[in-house]
Amino acid sequence: MDEETARRLVYDAIDIVNQQLPAAKRLTKSPETIIVGAGGALDSLGIVNFVIAAEEKIADATGTAVRLLDDAMLVEGGPFHTVGSLARHIAARAA
Amino acid sequence: MAATPHERLFFVADFNIDLLARQLANTTRPGVETAIAPPGPVMAALAAGPPGRDWSAVVWTRPDAVSETFARARDFAQVDHDRAIEDARRFGAALRAFAGRARSVFVPSWVQPPFARGWGMLDYRPGAGTAQLLARMNLALAEALADAPSIYMLDAGRWLAEAGSRGWSQKLWYAAKCPFAPPVIDLASADIAAALDGIAGRARRIVILDLDDVLWGGLVGEVGWNALALGGHDHVGEAFVDFQRALAALAARGVQLAIVSKNDEAGALEAIERHPEMILRRGDFAAWRIDWQDKAQNVAAVLADVNLGAESAVFIDDSAAERARVRDAVPGIFVPDWPSDPARFRETLESLRCFDAPVRTDEDRARGSMAADERSRRAALDAADSLDDWLRSLEIAVGVETLGAANLERAAQLLNKTNQMNLSTRRLTAGELAAWADGPGHCVLTFRVRDRFGDYGLTGIVGLDIAGPRARLVDFLLSCRVMGRRVEEAMLHVGAAHARARQASTLVAELVPTARNTPCLDFFSRSGMHRTAGNVFEWDLSRPYECPDAVAVADHARVVTSIDP
Repeated sequence: MDEETARRLVYDAIDIVNQQLPAAKRLTKSPETIIVGAGGALDSLGIVNFVIAAEEKIADATGTAVRLLDDAMLVEGGPFHTVGSLARHIAARAA
Repeated sequence: MAATPHERLFFVADFNIDLLARQLANTTRPGVETAIAPPGPVMAALAAGPPGRDWSAVVWTRPDAVSETFARARDFAQVDHDRAIEDARRFGAALRAFAGRARSVFVPSWVQPPFARGWGMLDYRPGAGTAQLLARMNLALAEALADAPSIYMLDAGRWLAEAGSRGWSQKLWYAAKCPFAPPVIDLASADIAAALDGIAGRARRIVILDLDDVLWGGLVGEVGWNALALGGHDHVGEAFVDFQRALAALAARGVQLAIVSKNDEAGALEAIERHPEMILRRGDFAAWRIDWQDKAQNVAAVLADVNLGAESAVFIDDSAAERARVRDAVPGIFVPDWPSDPARFRETLESLRCFDAPVRTDEDRARGSMAADERSRRAALDAADSLDDWLRSLEIAVGVETLGAANLERAAQLLNKTNQMNLSTRRLTAGELAAWADGPGHCVLTFRVRDRFGDYGLTGIVGLDIAGPRARLVDFLLSCRVMGRRVEEAMLHVGAAHARARQASTLVAELVPTARNTPCLDFFSRSGMHRTAGNVFEWDLSRPYECPDAVAVADHARVVTSIDP
C-alpha cells in the first residue's frame, strides 16, 4: 500500500471520530493534524475509537486484519503522533 | 435535526456510553445538553434519578448486567429461566420509578453479541437457549413498561442487524468498555433524535408524491394508463405496487398522502381510478395538484389545502432537479434523496425516521376518512351562498371533556403538534400535562368536534389557571383541521363560562408569538377581547362570551357548572 492510499484510509477514520467531536475541535484532513500528543483534540476514548476505526478501514481495503492498537505506540513522537506519521507507518507495515 | 431549546439528555448505562452522548451532542442533535450518571450499579443510578424533571434519559444496559441468572445461562449453567424474567420485571419497576422523575425515557432492548451462537440449534428451545431467554426478558420488560406513557423501548436488535458485523466490537469493549461500535452508535443516536422529534411534535404528517416513475413506471401522458409498469408478472411493476402498499401502510399510521405531478389531471386521475393494480385510489389522497405549474408552488398550494406547514411535509420525486427546486423553494420541507431503482423505493420510505411519533391515536387511524370528509365539506362550500351559510350547514357540534386517562395521549399529541392556532406553543409530555392539570387552580378542557360530514376527533384544548379573580388562558389551541369554523369562539365561550362559574372576574390571554402562530394572534385580535398591551387580551367576566350560533356545545363531563346560555 502506498502512503497516499494509507492517508486516505486515515481520513476515512477521521470522518468517524469527527462525529463525536464538537465542530470547533474536529480533526482536519491534513498530514500535519495531531492525533496523539500535545495539541491533539482526541482524549483517550477518542484515540481508541480512532485507532479501531483505522484498523477496520485498512482491513476493508486490504482484506487483511491489522493490529494497530498498541499502548507503546500511542505516545508523542510515535507513529500515531500525526496523520502523516500514521500513514507512513501503515504504508510501511502493508508493504 | 437540532435540539429544541433546553433539551437535556441524561445517560445511564452499565458500559461506557460516552460515544453515544458525544455523537448526539456534536452531530445528531447539536445543542442538546448531556450528562452521564456516575460510574456504579445501574439500579443505584435509577434510584438516584435524573438531574431534574426536565431531563429525558437513555437507559442502556447489557442483559447480564441486569440479570445474574441470564449471565449464568449464557455460560451454560443450569438455571431457572423464570428468575431472569423476574429480574426483567424488577428492572422495569425501577425504570418506571425513574421515569416518574424524567421527561421521557428511552430504553434500548437487550441484545447479545452477533457472534454469540449460544446453544446453536437449541438456542430457541424454552428452558435451554439464551436467545429464547433473552427474547422472553425483552417481552417481560416491554410488558412491565406498557402503561408507562413516557418510557419508549427502542429495538437495539435492529441497530445490530443493520450495522452488521462491524456493529459490535470486542476490542472497543476491552479497550474502552463500550461494546457498541460507531455504526451502532450512529443508528442509536438517529433513532433517539427521531424519538425526541416525535415527542416534540415534529413528526412529519404528509407525504407529497410525484406520479410518473414514483407511483408507477412510465409516463402516463405518453403511454396511457393501461401500459404503465404497475404490478403484473414483472419485477419493476411489482416494486411499484409494493411501494404503494408501503404508502398505504403509512396512511394507516396516520400520515396523509398528496400528489404534486406535472401531468394532465384527467389522464392521471383516470390511471389512479382505473388501473386494476393501483393500491392507492383517489380517496386515499388528501389533496393534489396535477398540472404543468412549478412544483414548488404546487407543493405550497397542497399544504395550504390541508392546513399544514412545510415542516410537516415530505416530498418524493424521481427527478433530482425537481427535488432540488422544492428543497430550495419550500424551507422546512424534507426532501429525501430518492433512488432511481424502484426496487429500493419501499426500503427507502420505510427507513425514514421522520414519521416516528410517540402515540397512535384514534384521530391518526381515522385520518384517511377525514381527508375524504374534508373534500365533501369543500364541495359544500363551493355550493354555498356565503361562508356563514356554509358554516351553519355543517351542523358543527363540540363536546367538552376534562383531561383524563382516556384522552391524555391524544391531548398531549395535539399540544405538541399544533403550531398555528396556539396561544403559548407550550410543549409538554403526556405525564407533564397530566401533572400540570392536577395543579391548584388548573383545569384542562378538551374539545371533540364533529359535523354532518364526519368526526374531526379531539381537536381543541383550553388550559386554565384560575387564581382568585384572575383566570389565565395558559393553553388555547385548535387543530388546523377545524380552524376558521368558529370552534375557536365556542372554546373561548366554554373557557369563559368555566372561569365565571369559579368566580373569576377577568379572563386573560397572553399570546407568545412564534413564527407560526399568527392565525392565533389574528383570532384574538378580532375576538372581541380587549387588547390591553402588546399581545395581552382580556375579557370582563361580568358578562358571558357568546357562543356562535353555528356551533352547538355539549358539556359531557359537566365541567362547566353553569354554562352561559
